[in-house]
Amino acid sequence: MRDLDLTPPSTASTARAVLAAVLLPGLLAPAMAAPDFSREIRPILAARCYACHGPDEEAREGNLRLDLPGARLDVGELQRRIDSSDPDEVMPPPQSPHPLQPHQRLLLHQWLAAGAKAEAHWAFEPMRREAAPQTALGASSAHPIDAFIEQRLQQEGLKLSPPAPAAQLRRRLHLDLLGMEPELSAQEMDQPLDDAGYLTLVQRLLQSPQFGERWGRHWLDAARYADSNGFLGDGLRPKAHRYRDWVIEAFNRDLPYDEFTRQQIAGDLIGQPEGTGFHRNAALNTEAGADPIEARHNNRVDRVNSVARVWMGLTLGCAQCHTHKYDPITLREYYRFYAYFDRTQDSDHPKNGAPLMLINAKDSTPTRLLERGDLTRPGDAVEPGTPAAFGPPAGPSRLDLAQWMLSPQHPLTARVAVNHLWSKLFGHGLVRTPEDFGTSGEAPTHPRLLDWLAQEFIRRGWSRKQLITLMVTSKTYRQDSRINSAQAAQRDPLNLLLWRQHRLRLEGEIIRDSALQLSGLLNTRIGGPSIRPPLPKDVFEVGRASNWQASPGDEVWRRSLYIITLRSVLYPLITTFDGPDAAEACVRRERNNTPLQALSLLNEEVFVQCAQELGRRFLRQASQGAEPTLRAMFLHVLKRQPRPTELQRLIDFARESQGTSADQPPLLLSEHSLMLCARLLLNLDERITRP
Amino acid sequence: MSPLEEQLTRSRRDFLATSACGLGTLALASLLKQDGLLASEADLNAHPLSQRLAHFAPRAQRCIFIFLEGGPSQMDLFDPKPMLNRYEGKPLPDSIVGNAKFAFLQKDSATVLGTKRVFQPHGQCGMEISDLLPHLATCVDDIALVRSMHTDQFNHLPGQLMLNCGSALLGRPSLGSWVSYGLGNASQELPAYMVMVSKGRGLPGGSSTWSSGYLPSPHGGVLLRNGSAPVLNLDNPPGISNAQQRASLRALGDLNRLAHAHIGDPEIAARISNYELAFRMQSAAPALVDLSGESPSTLKAYGLDRLEPPISSNLGGIGNFPVFARHCLQARRMVERGVRFVNIIHASWDHHSSLDPQLAHNCQMVDQPIAALLKDLKQRGLLDSTLVVWGSEFGRTALGENRKGFKKITGRDHHPYAFSLWMAGGGIKGGQVYGASDDFAWHATHNPVSMHDFHATILHLFGLDHQRLSYRFQGLEQRLTGVQPARVVHPLLA
Repeated sequence: MRDLDLTPPSTASTARAVLAAVLLPGLLAPAMAAPDFSREIRPILAARCYACHGPDEEAREGNLRLDLPGARLDVGELQRRIDSSDPDEVMPPPQSPHPLQPHQRLLLHQWLAAGAKAEAHWAFEPMRREAAPQTALGASSAHPIDAFIEQRLQQEGLKLSPPAPAAQLRRRLHLDLLGMEPELSAQEMDQPLDDAGYLTLVQRLLQSPQFGERWGRHWLDAARYADSNGFLGDGLRPKAHRYRDWVIEAFNRDLPYDEFTRQQIAGDLIGQPEGTGFHRNAALNTEAGADPIEARHNNRVDRVNSVARVWMGLTLGCAQCHTHKYDPITLREYYRFYAYFDRTQDSDHPKNGAPLMLINAKDSTPTRLLERGDLTRPGDAVEPGTPAAFGPPAGPSRLDLAQWMLSPQHPLTARVAVNHLWSKLFGHGLVRTPEDFGTSGEAPTHPRLLDWLAQEFIRRGWSRKQLITLMVTSKTYRQDSRINSAQAAQRDPLNLLLWRQHRLRLEGEIIRDSALQLSGLLNTRIGGPSIRPPLPKDVFEVGRASNWQASPGDEVWRRSLYIITLRSVLYPLITTFDGPDAAEACVRRERNNTPLQALSLLNEEVFVQCAQELGRRFLRQASQGAEPTLRAMFLHVLKRQPRPTELQRLIDFARESQGTSADQPPLLLSEHSLMLCARLLLNLDERITRP
Repeated sequence: MSPLEEQLTRSRRDFLATSACGLGTLALASLLKQDGLLASEADLNAHPLSQRLAHFAPRAQRCIFIFLEGGPSQMDLFDPKPMLNRYEGKPLPDSIVGNAKFAFLQKDSATVLGTKRVFQPHGQCGMEISDLLPHLATCVDDIALVRSMHTDQFNHLPGQLMLNCGSALLGRPSLGSWVSYGLGNASQELPAYMVMVSKGRGLPGGSSTWSSGYLPSPHGGVLLRNGSAPVLNLDNPPGISNAQQRASLRALGDLNRLAHAHIGDPEIAARISNYELAFRMQSAAPALVDLSGESPSTLKAYGLDRLEPPISSNLGGIGNFPVFARHCLQARRMVERGVRFVNIIHASWDHHSSLDPQLAHNCQMVDQPIAALLKDLKQRGLLDSTLVVWGSEFGRTALGENRKGFKKITGRDHHPYAFSLWMAGGGIKGGQVYGASDDFAWHATHNPVSMHDFHATILHLFGLDHQRLSYRFQGLEQRLTGVQPARVVHPLLA
């Protein structure tokens, strides 16, 4: 596959189409390079044609299939049909909701004229053995990640940004690895970081128990973790936190990803059942009068779809009612995959005390495929089995399934896992649709790097801490995040090629945790039952699970991943900042920017309390005058020295808040003014952004 | 000018220049998107609430969706069935009941429950409406009543998700979120989508009822609270005056602009404008719920002065008369201010027992305010462009509920195969009854309307093609109306 073009695909296609329209397409086509199949043609075919000419046999029209590499296509006939003005002939047909746009028609013409060569979908092909490229700089000691990134940047005449300043880098690393602000003095923050010192810092942070909290939360999103059933009643799952704590612990002891996977898919079969809580997180309708068979089926479907999405980046759920329209998964294969999870039952009272786990059912009726996904239309009985497109068949047990996914030859599992890790450190995955590695997903920005990382991951024993170390020690990770090159900003506005680090608005959990930390309120106790910080009565009373008794004492100051997740009463602070709703596996959070976030940061009780406490911490110092006090507070919050204009503006604000004018020095800050200044600093964009 | 002032002035000027440029790009992005030339969602996600053009000329600019949770009894309100009283106490033939599934009803021994309601024709159109809704009866010439609604869900939450979000599963965007996504926010000071809830028994889905699902979170409904701070975190914290809040926001803006000049990230510009919008919301939302400017006759018309009649217990709660009336009036004030989608939600109408007294009580609570809302919108010239909907997740059975343990049969079970809802204004042709059910309101026998047909019709009124309004999620172009065929019900349109 050719490397991607930098301009957003549609714009590139538009430009090509406009150019082509100016000249005569017929004359132009041979002169222009054939369009890139994976990037330019497959998306058109997938969206416009596959529904009737794709993998789904039942829906296939005219015995024509456009999704197979190497198939011989009747080019002339295709050219005629996409141009036809006869409503009975033209493709897509007039009633299609997705007619071809003019530039798409041109692209198809160019592709057909160039021989209509289709390629296999990259993600379903085996990983390629990749060696890191030698950069033009020729340094064999260069970091392999940088070699891949820099080679691609050089092709576009771009280069990495300079390294981030040491203080910024320390802050970035603490926020990424621990979800916490560094607790270092001004001098410590600014000390230069050589490679050895940086590596020591990375290793120290990876040993912190807060690493498991930070990275465990990422996994809990994917595991659609919640403390309640969902649906009417939204009954509590008082033991659900055992799974949450298992995840934290697994990250902290760097449980290898293969073992981490085995224990979640089939831990009950290998004497390690706690990880199977993954499946127990699925929502369950326990409404009185609900059909238990349907409720169980929906619950199983969620388990099946979640496993496919989280581990393989597959949209398997699309094959629940009919053969997948885009990817090679048949209806029968869906129900064979389903069968692995159909023969299980939930166990709440196992001998070893691990609650909410999964075990094999004692007796079970055979799984039947469901025509059209309809429970009232059971079809053939099916045995557990894996989709043929992704490797040799697996055996019938869930452990076999786990082993099948973990085979080094499996084209998806390792790629998906490293993409997940990458996305947390760089803001976006190398594949920007981590939930979909199928033909409808986006192509990787750096396909060779992705394959190299995936193989490196396996080679290093599936160690996530090692892979994270590898990623954060690259220059690519350590570069500045500012936009300091107009040329680069114009050439690659979305920063697909990583000519700078991304600035990332922090998750709601981390915004709250770090505010508590900066103000000295944070209670760092790890694990245990979930907590309830205060919540206005009318907010939780909307649902029917309407008992919200705030937790006692400093329990309310614990980290946000311990806030109880009730599916019908999601905690507003978390959802305001795009936290997931635990309805389905979430492998990518949005980062929206909204006025409700501003209201939360300005006025929400917890942030006001943080501002008060933070202000109080500087009260004793206030006698030294406004400037040193505010400088110290700024430094404490933002982990850098204020620039003179910033400090002056802060002092002016403090003055205004006390009603004193500029000619009345020295200013002695009141507790109230200190609170206002602290609140101001806690609201700054820079404060809630990973630099 | 001091150096600080100079730099601040410069950063403000630069900021305006870049944001103006940003807006230009944005407008272009919208146009390209309309022309199908820009498939990239990234551009639109960067400014999720920017206004967008509809697919075609809209009839409705806004919608007030009144969701009366639990399944109000259609044969006691909207769909007169004289056969009920004739068959009272008798079983229904299998030819009608078929394989129907029930939540609680015991099929083998269930018998028809008659109705005490009296239906009479009203208005010029002669629409028959129950005596429980005397005020609404004066509005029938503006109402299109659908008696042939059907759904495939007979449990509350799946049914409610189907009604509100087009799918029985959790995690899908609500209708209001889709409209916000399709058209953006027309208000400079209030959210595009606001929700008001009054309840006795509680809402099964809670906030999932107005969730943005997989759409960007700014499209989610914003709950308007019933207390003094109408939006969560709207009030200044205790001890912080308005002047201090203003000064804080000025300083915050300046410091963020200085950072923007240094860092160059357009996200900072977006953050600054969101703080400005938040500040405007801090005065706009209290003004929205401040009814002191409303005339006494308006307040009276909506029934804010009514005394609630005594009732010993009520699933829909006691004490909600003034709350519901206020919500209807606030809904008008919202749409006047450019809010695009309003949910008025009341729970519950789930009358498995004590149907007669509790349904009467609930109707007395909602009838006058809803009728007043319709008349008020009409009088202000807003009804033509404001769609008003009354709906619920399903209806109720003609059979009386004989759940185990019930001593007397005084209610009805859930019924998904035929039920009623109505729409008015916003491009709807009033004064008509659309569709019909059989003699026992069991099956939709004439012009059945599915939930997805209903959604397709509402989107159509907003100028949105339900097949084209899509969002990529889990590898698919997801739509409110799902994958099964759905149709716009054209006879409902003016």
